[in-house]
Amino acid sequence: MFPANLQSNAQRERLIDRPLWLGVLGLMGVGAAFIFSATGANESARNAAWYDYTAVRQSIAYALGLFLVGCACLIDYARLARWALLAYWFSIVLLVAVYVVGVERLGAKRWIDLGPIQFQPSEFAKLAFLFAVANFLSRPVGELSSPALFVKALGMALLPFALVVKQPDLGSALVFLPTGIVMMLVAGVPRRFLIRFFAGAACLVSLVLVDVLFAPANWRFIQLEEYQKHRLLVYFNLDFAPRNATESQRLTARAEKEKKSYNVKQALISVGSGGTWGKGWRQGTQGALGYLPRAVAHNDFIFSVIAEETGFAGSLLVLGLYSVVLFSGVKIAGQARDRLGRILAAGVVALLFTHIFVNIGMNIALMPVTGIPLPLLSAGGTSVICSLLAIGILQNIHQNRRHY
Amino acid sequence: MLVFDQLNKGESALRILAWGVVAGLGILLAGLWRVQVLSGDEYRRRQETQSYRSVRVPAMRGRIVDRNGLAFAENQPRFRLDIYLDELLPQFAKMDGQLRKELLASRGATNAPDPGLLDRFLAKFSKAPKRVLITPNEREWLRRQARFAVVSNIIQLINQRLGTQIVKTEADLYKHWQQQRALPFPVINKLTPAQVAILTEQGWSFPGVELELVPVRSYPNGQLAAHIIGAVRTYDSASEEDEAFDYRLRDYRGLIGLESAFDRQLRGRPGAKSILINSSGYRHRQGEIMLAEPSIGDTLVTTLDLGLQKAVEKSLAQVNGDERGAAVVVDTRNGDILACASAPSFDPNAWIDGISHAENTRLLDPKMKYLFNRATYGSYNPGSTFKIVTALACFEHGILTTENAHDRMRTLGYYRIGRNHKIDDTAPAGEYDFNRAFVKSSNSYFIEHGLHLGINNLLEYARRFHLGEKPGLRLNEEAAGIIPAIEDVPAGGIPGKTANLSIGQELTVTPVQLAMVIAAVANGGTVYWPRLIDRFEPGDTLSDDPVERVRPGQVRTRLSIRPEHLAIVHAAMRDDVALDEGTGKNARVKDFAVCGKTGTAEVKAGNRLLDRITWFASFAPFESPRYAVIVMVESGGSGGGTCAPVAKRIYEYLRDRERGTIAFGQN
Repeated sequence: MFPANLQSNAQRERLIDRPLWLGVLGLMGVGAAFIFSATGANESARNAAWYDYTAVRQSIAYALGLFLVGCACLIDYARLARWALLAYWFSIVLLVAVYVVGVERLGAKRWIDLGPIQFQPSEFAKLAFLFAVANFLSRPVGELSSPALFVKALGMALLPFALVVKQPDLGSALVFLPTGIVMMLVAGVPRRFLIRFFAGAACLVSLVLVDVLFAPANWRFIQLEEYQKHRLLVYFNLDFAPRNATESQRLTARAEKEKKSYNVKQALISVGSGGTWGKGWRQGTQGALGYLPRAVAHNDFIFSVIAEETGFAGSLLVLGLYSVVLFSGVKIAGQARDRLGRILAAGVVALLFTHIFVNIGMNIALMPVTGIPLPLLSAGGTSVICSLLAIGILQNIHQNRRHY
Repeated sequence: MLVFDQLNKGESALRILAWGVVAGLGILLAGLWRVQVLSGDEYRRRQETQSYRSVRVPAMRGRIVDRNGLAFAENQPRFRLDIYLDELLPQFAKMDGQLRKELLASRGATNAPDPGLLDRFLAKFSKAPKRVLITPNEREWLRRQARFAVVSNIIQLINQRLGTQIVKTEADLYKHWQQQRALPFPVINKLTPAQVAILTEQGWSFPGVELELVPVRSYPNGQLAAHIIGAVRTYDSASEEDEAFDYRLRDYRGLIGLESAFDRQLRGRPGAKSILINSSGYRHRQGEIMLAEPSIGDTLVTTLDLGLQKAVEKSLAQVNGDERGAAVVVDTRNGDILACASAPSFDPNAWIDGISHAENTRLLDPKMKYLFNRATYGSYNPGSTFKIVTALACFEHGILTTENAHDRMRTLGYYRIGRNHKIDDTAPAGEYDFNRAFVKSSNSYFIEHGLHLGINNLLEYARRFHLGEKPGLRLNEEAAGIIPAIEDVPAGGIPGKTANLSIGQELTVTPVQLAMVIAAVANGGTVYWPRLIDRFEPGDTLSDDPVERVRPGQVRTRLSIRPEHLAIVHAAMRDDVALDEGTGKNARVKDFAVCGKTGTAEVKAGNRLLDRITWFASFAPFESPRYAVIVMVESGGSGGGTCAPVAKRIYEYLRDRERGTIAFGQN
């Protein structure tokens, strides 16, 4: 699992970043246990074969992910980065392919069907994007003050962003932006570029929101999917009906809103009813009784299940485990032997953190509902393997920190 | 430490990143604190509200028994057949899939799995619009049909097995599904023992079908004392006290009689259970929690005697089989109602499984008035039986004395008041002293003395028997009777009115009221409150709750009748039965000295005779009075001819009971 150039026990000890991996193992334990809690009862009622249990599949994904991490750590990240551009364009091709031959689930095309397994190219794209941008930005700092380069780097982020938005998967798409910006920040792109970009983006986003939420239909120049618009309306707690709607339209709109805000409401009830200490493992009722819809309880809303059953104490534990992983990442970034390593590690931290923040935020109605998984906890093979690979990058940077 | 190290040292960009992460995690933590700790209780309440349904569980209704504990109203176990919809969910889904496939096939499409990769690729470029095969409304309709198909298949199988013809419509099921989804769907309300045997012996294995044992109100003696005991009907709608419940299981409400008057005590305290329901509103497996056990209603012990009641009703029924009347037996020593019958009667069991429209119409027949309690609710002119009161009032005021009671008065066979008011007398013209006038029921004699007495004195005396007031049985069906108000009478009175009142025509009484009058006369002048309820016992025999007793022999008024006057009246009443010329001779019983007075009140409109109310008011035995018996028959021939024989049969029963030749509860 580790490079052959181990020389002494002392060095080996420093090879593996222990807190990082303890945090990861803890999260994997929590993930398997609560995916079983969310799906086990239903699956045993269905007499599913043991290997069809979601929790078992998740564990297999964990194992496979760890194996892939081991393989990836055999090669120095700098050598891996040479393939970054290729991987990047390959992932772009996959994203286009999704658009053409993807499988549709719940109204969005996010998956490619490869017979026994289906995978989500957008997850792979995130990794490829990390490498490509880090590689691109790891040039001498002096060159980074050129605006053209900044625009180019931005372009690298916007291309997959646009393709993923098209799926449509606005949530996953939005992950690319903060990740890209953090990498630019760490790489040393002049702050004024970033501040300008940030201000511009903020203006643009507010314009888009105002347009989507308040403009009359024929003034709308940005066409969001209907469900995306509804999610935003739910998030901002606005009426679905246009201002000049009749009373009956208003009523239908209210019913519609009630329906659309169902998941958010139920997630809040799940998290809140857990109280301080929770109801106990497998004692939560929200998932078992189907209030938290079965289709999302074990993936996008797994945090609701954990929070209901373990309460605030459990939420604290999960956040604690994540902060161990994230701060290990920041530490690894600080100790990296070169700028590529530092940018890459910072990118991984930003990527993971964006996922965590958006997903948990959505479970407590701080964020609008998006399809962003919770790294390592949400059920889903692609997401698990890509999260592990991202953490594997940290390990790779860590173990190669002294190779000058 | 790992976190603080990253915040304070290292490169500024990484410090910004670290602070950003800390800030983000801090926001999440604050959010979680707010949701889980600060609003935790609120969300737990919301969670409970949406996932629990409370059900009101009715208590078993208290029994109504006679003074010896024999049951008038009780509860019988009965088997019911229910279908638990939640256990059929897999079948619903399967049937739904099948129906959907059929519908799609009929529209030339399949719900086959997704087309292959190539097809999907080609479909990208095809211009054909995507067809919507099934609209959401149709989906909903299909699910409805699927549920109905599964349930009606099961009902079909039950019908085959039991040979029954149960039909449940789609509308029945849908209504239940909409309103009471978490409760089982009732299929058969009443299973015969044979059906239960079939279902349990042959290894019953239909999913969702269950036998349920429920208590059902039952009146083992059918029509016996039905007017007093009353009836119940099943009751579905919620009252204010159970608005807090989401569902209420059926229970009973009293309709008439004691069942209605003491509904609250009999109903007991309902329990509550809560059902865990899933997001589609179905009951969740093992999700029932009993929050409070129901506690059975009180047992109402009446003062009635079941055997005597049977005898009384049988005696009354021997008038002509189609009689309308009433009979009341009161213990003269304390005012206990021992029997209280009204004819014609009805079977209170008729309401238990829902009464038919035809039966309901029959019971409300304006002439027979089956539900009408003639004994307590019917007011009638007492006729000549009122002469007892007139006589006592005359003695009280010195109009009659022990001496002048033997004076003879000549009568003409009618009594003329003023120029053109003539009152007929059923007793022939002749010479009458008090005893003969009473025994022959001479109107002239009593009118003469009544006029001397004056209407105010007579009314005042009648009021001391509490005529014109409700007797206080605590039934809802209780009339006060009508007695003219003293203020309504002009000074000096109207002679015609006074004359009519003296012979019991200007006022009305109920049979129970008259029974209380006779009881007071019999016991020497104590007017008791009638007592129909002896006590309320806790329905649960193991309970420590106290027994609520109604004190026997509560005195309402003590009349101070001089013993010598009482003796004269008692003797006259004895002679009315004992002498062959007495009007009440048909009531004579061997070895049991019955004292009585007959009465025949004419109901007239102008001069046209509409109806006759015949009476026999009596007590016995003469030596030491214990029982007062009142018999009243509408449209009878005469008091002596129609009612006295009824009383005779009642007294015979009482005599035999006292001798011990009849056991309790028999006749």
